[in-house]
Amino acid sequence: MATLLRGVGRPLCAFRGSPGPSAGVPLRAVSHGAGLLYPEHIPTSLLQKVLLAAGSAGMALYNPYRHDMVAVLGETTGHRALKVLRDQMKRDPEGAQILQERPRISLSTLDMGKLRSLPEGSFGCAYLHFLDVNKFHQDASLFHQWEIHQGDLLQKVSPDTRAPTRFVDDEELAYVIQRYREIHDMLHTLLGMPTNILGEIVVKWFEAVQTGLPMCVLSALFGPIQLSAQSLQLLISELIPWAVENGRRAPCVLSVYYERRWEQPLQALRQELGITEPPLRVEGLV
Amino acid sequence: MAAPRSWALWSFCGRGWSRAVSGYRVPGLRSSWPRGPLGARLLSQEKEATETHFGFETVSEEEKGGKVYQVFESVAKKYDVMNDMMSLGIHRVWKDLLLWKMRPFPGTQLLDVAGGTGLAWILGDAEELPFDDDKFDVYTIAFGIRNVTHIDQALQEAHRVLKPGGRFLCLEFSQVNNPLLSRLYDVYSFQVIPVLGEVIAGDWKSYQYLVESIRQFPSQEEFKEMIEDAGFQKVTYENLTSGIVAIHSGFKL
Repeated sequence: MATLLRGVGRPLCAFRGSPGPSAGVPLRAVSHGAGLLYPEHIPTSLLQKVLLAAGSAGMALYNPYRHDMVAVLGETTGHRALKVLRDQMKRDPEGAQILQERPRISLSTLDMGKLRSLPEGSFGCAYLHFLDVNKFHQDASLFHQWEIHQGDLLQKVSPDTRAPTRFVDDEELAYVIQRYREIHDMLHTLLGMPTNILGEIVVKWFEAVQTGLPMCVLSALFGPIQLSAQSLQLLISELIPWAVENGRRAPCVLSVYYERRWEQPLQALRQELGITEPPLRVEGLV
Repeated sequence: MAAPRSWALWSFCGRGWSRAVSGYRVPGLRSSWPRGPLGARLLSQEKEATETHFGFETVSEEEKGGKVYQVFESVAKKYDVMNDMMSLGIHRVWKDLLLWKMRPFPGTQLLDVAGGTGLAWILGDAEELPFDDDKFDVYTIAFGIRNVTHIDQALQEAHRVLKPGGRFLCLEFSQVNNPLLSRLYDVYSFQVIPVLGEVIAGDWKSYQYLVESIRQFPSQEEFKEMIEDAGFQKVTYENLTSGIVAIHSGFKL
């Protein structure tokens, strides 16, 4: 244990986020300024990541309102999948541009006026409609906020992701996961899925196939637990196969520069990505 | 332990100690040192550029109070749950031991500083107490003094407000005296505690501050000397749980 703790090198040392003098004690000086890879970065050791992953998974199951836990789970378990995603993006010209320019989707970057002026049937118009229908709020504190409303589970949706990435130890990968979160609403729009529980699960299946992120896989597998028998039956017989098929057929959805395609007709974009109409309407189902 | 509802600091139990004892638990960590309405002290010129620690970070003395305040604002909601989770309930034993050592009786004028719960509340600053001299029989501070910017001033104030014959008692995290336990304690502190903070309270940074501030606090002997410097006599300390916490005691004679 003593040799383990002597900071020989990151892979050998389970306790170190970064090398430092004494056993088990990460150098906090490193967490301020110099050692951080990006502003919100919290360097973590392997042990901490394992504990965080387990803890966040448990807490997310125990309290589904803890969306921050889902985010933490994604960050602590996603390293490998994020690398694969990043490499996929690099190989694609549009994806490479996204990695280069690092566009962000938030209330401050979206030109709402422009979006509203877009023609009916355009992707941008459909996206805006999606935000409107799902009660887009300016001060959503998390990417999604769940709310029980008259027996339905509705989500308050906002393009604002105020939960920045913290536990990814690579600044490019930190952007990739942030981008993944920020295009989630776009996927809803493309797939024609509402933000009720069933709709979210369908999107998660699509994302799981597309990204391979363990957090998506876990959500896809565990999400359906809370469904009614009828919804579960529809999910398994129709929606999941459809989501998986589309997920496989579509190119990497993170390589699509959505902000440059607002005017593109929604149908044309769907066709380009190989996304077909959903097999049934999911609104009103729980 | 009831969760504190405000960031007010004090618990001044003027009378009816027996009444207090039955339902009374020694308040835990609950300190905030705003440069607030009472004891708003102008910084003297010499203090302007002085730096101090905030966990392992270096900050100006001016900043520290505010930063500590933010930590406690942040941890307030889940305070009791977190204390239980982090110490596996042992913090209650430590606080009981403090009370036992104090052996209060009806009529004891007790001042508990940085108290989480209590009977009567007064807001103030540990470095400048809103009380007259020679007022209390016992002054206690449990898991609070670590967060004070100028510990020596807090100690001097404690000395001032105590009656002659009065007793100072401090329960605080200290240095572990057993090398093996010390290693385990470090691993637990730095690897597990912030994770618990994140998972339970959604707050990594406050709990990172907590474990770092423990490391920054003087050792048992050093703190004993600081207490003596403030004028206390017959200063002793007792380690609990191999020095994870210590109770320091001193008398104003």
